[in-house]
Amino acid sequence: MARRDVDSQERAAPRAPAEARAEPWTPLWLRRAGALAGALYLAAIWLAAVKPALPERVLPRPVLFFTQVAELFPNAAIDSIEWRARGWRCALGRFDEVDVRPFFPIRQDDKESRFDRAMFFHHRQRPVLVALDRYITSAQNHMRPAERIGGVMLLSLRVPIPPLGETGPRWRWMPLDEYPPSVERRYWYTTSMEARTRRCEEEP
Amino acid sequence: MSRVAKHKSGTRAAAPPGSPGTGAAFEPMAWLRRWLDAPQPIERLVLLRVLVPLAVLGFLSSRLVHADHWLGSAGFRVPDLGGDWRQPLYLPAMPPWAAWTVAVVIALSGLSLVAGFATPVAAAVLALLVGYATLADRLEAFTVTKLAPPLTLALLLAPCGARYSVDAWLRRRRRPAAPLPTTGGSGTIRFFQVFLVTMYSATGIAKARGDWLTHQVLWTHLHDQYQTAAAWLIMRATPAWGWWILQGLVLLFEVGAPLWFALPWTRRPALVIGLGMHAMIGLMFGPVVWFALLMASMLVACFLPEEPLRRLFAAAMTLGRRRADRTVD
Repeated sequence: MARRDVDSQERAAPRAPAEARAEPWTPLWLRRAGALAGALYLAAIWLAAVKPALPERVLPRPVLFFTQVAELFPNAAIDSIEWRARGWRCALGRFDEVDVRPFFPIRQDDKESRFDRAMFFHHRQRPVLVALDRYITSAQNHMRPAERIGGVMLLSLRVPIPPLGETGPRWRWMPLDEYPPSVERRYWYTTSMEARTRRCEEEP
Repeated sequence: MSRVAKHKSGTRAAAPPGSPGTGAAFEPMAWLRRWLDAPQPIERLVLLRVLVPLAVLGFLSSRLVHADHWLGSAGFRVPDLGGDWRQPLYLPAMPPWAAWTVAVVIALSGLSLVAGFATPVAAAVLALLVGYATLADRLEAFTVTKLAPPLTLALLLAPCGARYSVDAWLRRRRRPAAPLPTTGGSGTIRFFQVFLVTMYSATGIAKARGDWLTHQVLWTHLHDQYQTAAAWLIMRATPAWGWWILQGLVLLFEVGAPLWFALPWTRRPALVIGLGMHAMIGLMFGPVVWFALLMASMLVACFLPEEPLRRLFAAAMTLGRRRADRTVD
């Protein structure tokens, strides 16, 4: 009914003169301030991609962050990177792969997953890797109590990209064991032996 | 002597003295003012009001349904890194109830902006909360969420709820004799137009300075988790040289964007190529579809010629009327 009202209002309304300009609801000073801020914002976007040193020097970091939007895929990828975790199985005394996707439910199957993002940005930052270790260990022991772990090993796989024109199989998530040994593994973090032993001895 | 100049919107208006072509000295400020004030069809603004928040909400939908993991303490949080460049600002996790509240308010304010209900308030709230969420959680901050606050603030400054909106309907109930606005928000439209050109130009230059002139880049980014079924099929069907043509076209379009969109005779081909590029991105790069939709929406709203734009709205209104009549019958 409301829709009909809208439409009948549109029909019943007198046709506008050649140009009936919508009145701005904001005061002139605010529009002028907005125009100035808009011009500076556009300049900052352009500079952040073309000459980043300048906005980095001038803008506070939280503001700069919103201007770093235009540097999109400038370089070729050398390999396709996969981020993975192995867990120290308390019962077996060895590292096995832990499928961490259920612990990071936001876009869990692609590289927008929080695990992939955390590893991508912070794989050389120990405080973040320690926090990931705690989170994954706790989530695994909570969600899969029969497969308790005492710690993790965080690693990346560098999957070679096929040469141009050779498509290869479609991408799919594969367990670590299915990757051939030719796929390079890089290890970024391993929970210490003491911490693994201590956690495994803790009451569930 | 008054001379008639053709506006970008297609309407004609008297050019101020000192404009190029009047014979008088060129006055940049007068030209800029005329360019900024040139009447723009209100439909451009309405299209931006509807499509920009829809694309942002589409992107955020996968985060909103996991608000406790996104902004709350249920999920993994990067600890305070004490000023590290990867963490522009540390904001601690919220309790889950607060995270869910923020998520609900983001969704409601976005939908309210789309419908044009309490438009300025909806735009302000959406900009503020998406800005907060983007800063609070670096892991979920992407181009779409970084762009959303400034773009929504630009809408806030314009009368984007003046027509085709709940606000307009309420206003007409109060003042039925008031004429319907046909133009408005010129400054905001100009901002969006320059924004698009700036984005394309900056990303094009960054690509040219990166690997795009020397390496095949497109191909290498199609082999990870972003790969869609469409991407895989297109990769199988496209010969190797086709990727170089596509890459060259993208680079040429982006680097030359200021020229393509400034010249009237290249604007329409640029619009078609831009939409084609975003369609390919949306089809081939999985979750990047929301960024592609955001950019394509802005391209259409900003650069679709006035006549097809008005015809599009007229067709939508006619369709709405027919549906409403059928419902009432």
